[in-house]
Amino acid sequence: MKAMRLVWVVAALAGLAGAAAHAAPGAWEQPASELADQIAAILGPGQAHLTIRNLSSISNDEIPVIRRLLVQDLKTHGVVMAGAESANTIRVTLSESARDRLWVAEIDEGNQTQVAMVDLGPIAAQTAATQERMELHKEIYLNAAALVNGSTAVSDGPVTALVEAGTRLFVLYKDNVMIFARNADHGRTVEASLALDLKRPMPRDARGILIAAADGNGFTAFTPGTECSGAFSPPADTAAPQNGWTINCRASDEPWPVAVDASWTPQLKAFYNSARDYFTGVVSPSVGVDLPPFYGAAPLPRSAGSAALLIDGVDGKVTMAENGALKVVTGTRDWGSDFAVLHSGCGAGVQVIASSSGEVANDSLRAYELPALEAAPASAPLAIDGTVTALWTAPDGKSVLTVVRNAANQYEVDRVTALCN
Amino acid sequence: MLRRFAISVLLVLVCVCAPARTRPHYGGSLRVEVAGDPWQGPDGPARRLVLDGLTALDANGIVSPSLAVEWQSDSGDHRWQFRLRQGVHFHDGSPLNSAAVVMALNTACSTNCPWTAVRAVGSAVIFTSDSPMPNLPALLGSDAYLIALTRTADGQTPANPIGTGPFQFTGSNNGTLTLTANESCWQGRPFFDEIVIAGNRPIREQWLDLSVGRTDIAEVPPQELRQAQQQHLAVLVSPPVELLLLEVSDAGTLTNAVLRAAIAQAVDRGALFNVIFQKQGEITASLLPQSLSGYAFLFPADRDVNKANELRGGLTPPALTLAADGDPTMQLAAQRIALNLREAGFNVQVANAHNAAHADLALRKLPLEGADPAAALETLLRGAGENVAVEGRNPNALFRAEHDVLDLHTIVPLLDLPRAWAIGSRVRDLKLRADGTPDLASASLEGTQ
Repeated sequence: MKAMRLVWVVAALAGLAGAAAHAAPGAWEQPASELADQIAAILGPGQAHLTIRNLSSISNDEIPVIRRLLVQDLKTHGVVMAGAESANTIRVTLSESARDRLWVAEIDEGNQTQVAMVDLGPIAAQTAATQERMELHKEIYLNAAALVNGSTAVSDGPVTALVEAGTRLFVLYKDNVMIFARNADHGRTVEASLALDLKRPMPRDARGILIAAADGNGFTAFTPGTECSGAFSPPADTAAPQNGWTINCRASDEPWPVAVDASWTPQLKAFYNSARDYFTGVVSPSVGVDLPPFYGAAPLPRSAGSAALLIDGVDGKVTMAENGALKVVTGTRDWGSDFAVLHSGCGAGVQVIASSSGEVANDSLRAYELPALEAAPASAPLAIDGTVTALWTAPDGKSVLTVVRNAANQYEVDRVTALCN
Repeated sequence: MLRRFAISVLLVLVCVCAPARTRPHYGGSLRVEVAGDPWQGPDGPARRLVLDGLTALDANGIVSPSLAVEWQSDSGDHRWQFRLRQGVHFHDGSPLNSAAVVMALNTACSTNCPWTAVRAVGSAVIFTSDSPMPNLPALLGSDAYLIALTRTADGQTPANPIGTGPFQFTGSNNGTLTLTANESCWQGRPFFDEIVIAGNRPIREQWLDLSVGRTDIAEVPPQELRQAQQQHLAVLVSPPVELLLLEVSDAGTLTNAVLRAAIAQAVDRGALFNVIFQKQGEITASLLPQSLSGYAFLFPADRDVNKANELRGGLTPPALTLAADGDPTMQLAAQRIALNLREAGFNVQVANAHNAAHADLALRKLPLEGADPAAALETLLRGAGENVAVEGRNPNALFRAEHDVLDLHTIVPLLDLPRAWAIGSRVRDLKLRADGTPDLASASLEGTQ
């Protein structure tokens, strides 16, 4: 019975894979027409024998369609099909490189062979949706084009933090802060690009925290060894540099705000080791227990109305500081180095969204609940098209924002929300 | 029953106690062993750690900014302007400026350069050429054009290489290089404090050292890949990144193109693939692999001794010499090719690599770099000593360019080969660059703080 079920699963997966290689009806008309044009230009009107072989990911089911299109198009040029005995042969190969599809025709006339090619462009990526009891959904919050096109400075640096306040969106890059203003049509345009005068180079694993003023007229950026404050004062004229924004940076080893409330008031600050890229474990105010060095921390509401602090330790252990004690959380083996708290209202009401362990090319995000000290999955993994480089709770608490670096080394910001089933 | 229970308990313990993945840790010393010179390409990993180029190829082979942050061309790609990144310093503290870059490029390339002239204008570097340079940004990302300081502040030639890369050269002893982290690297401080690269280590000794924890990274030649897997080594394998080819001189006896064509027909790629390289890589008769061009199948790779004999037309050319790059596998491959050619009526003697300049035939490996087929083809041809610019981005134009070169029969492509590395358990997040070498600057060690 088990074997039978496996066969069905394999068959279903094979079906999905096959479907992925099918193109929409009409997708082959243009390349077939172009290839026929080139073949006819070489061969001229007459008879020819046509063969087609498939070295590409196109489903073999598509070959008769492609053949029919080619035969029709060749016929319009006066090239009619003949048997294998014909002196003229057209050998069409449906080929592809790692990126692009390529159709190649080798045209034999007597003992002479000529080649024609049509480049079909990139092989379309296919994705499949998943369904589970509590579903995570993602939408693009800021796409790669916006992040790159908006930058007037070097655009090859990563996005390390992002906040929205008032009508403005602040994006912290490795070496500058971009400020986007909201348009009347709810689109965004670049209002200013402020270079960070870094007092020490960013570490390779660039990190930072951005805090905005509630009205969106100022911000503070924390990067290793440097603290920068930005302020807006309405410009006297439209030609004012940076549209009235100024920035001041200073060397700083002040603690970073690792948790803020809805009005951007820091609830917990932590000292950062700029040379080694982690928090030292010294926090303010004290949580009643000595914390180990950690990479990230998030306050987690507990069932009794109290709050705990969830810590991502440098040693790879996830621990919880609660009631003056530090306890190890189990079931976190699949967690990566980023997590954020989501107030979804589903199930227990609060979940931790954790990135996957980073052992495969693309990361995923998954919701977990921590009723006690064991993390229990609360959703299926949500596939991410790249690597999660930062993850934090949005100001409304009902969504998390994640920075993703894709295979092309471009960054985008996604908003992740939960749908209760 | 007891055994199953014990295994279950063990699995539960592993699941409960295993820590989650963390951000990479800073610190620690990485030990690497290589068979050749750690500094010399293509397998020497040290150059890329110490020196940066104006551009770089990312892991997908896409050209990306490095010491130059932007570039633009005009006059039909006859002139390129590269704007330098500000605030970058060489390891000795001297600033990177356009004058230093120009001196470095003139030192790196005195002949057969892709450009006619290079000069400094403000913070920009300007390249000009009599012929178009459509692939210059990609070419400048290759090993040949990395930027090294040529004059120190006191006007001296540096005793050791000085660059802007994530590691600085701190010592060399008996073929072992020691590199230390560049704390103020413009790309960010690397994770390791130190990398020690031991050169000239035989493969078996590298693997032995890896098994007893004396090294963290060891080389795995393509022909040894299966054996490495049998020994349960953790191996990272690249896609094909090197082209094994036979260079055929067009001088002396081989001025006759028909004889060169006969040589191309006589080579048995299948034997090289199956026997010498243990079925690793791909047989090819094209310069670009199928994964890059999509049309490699158009170049037939089958051996045809009858055709070779027919082309030779009863001529018995004087003895030819065949030289091969250093290692024993290349010598073995050369012996095999000599045998093939003897079967087709050629008298071929195998010589060592020192005689390559005077040999009629040379067996070589050349890098296949980047995701841009035109740039990869030009890099390859320049590596083979051809001073050509590959123009055109569409497959038809590339195919014609490749076909025209191969039609001369001075280059006979044989195999596309991968690169592979065995990795110790302490190393994490190690990925391979587009050229198949390990990206050591972005990796880290488990358990360091």
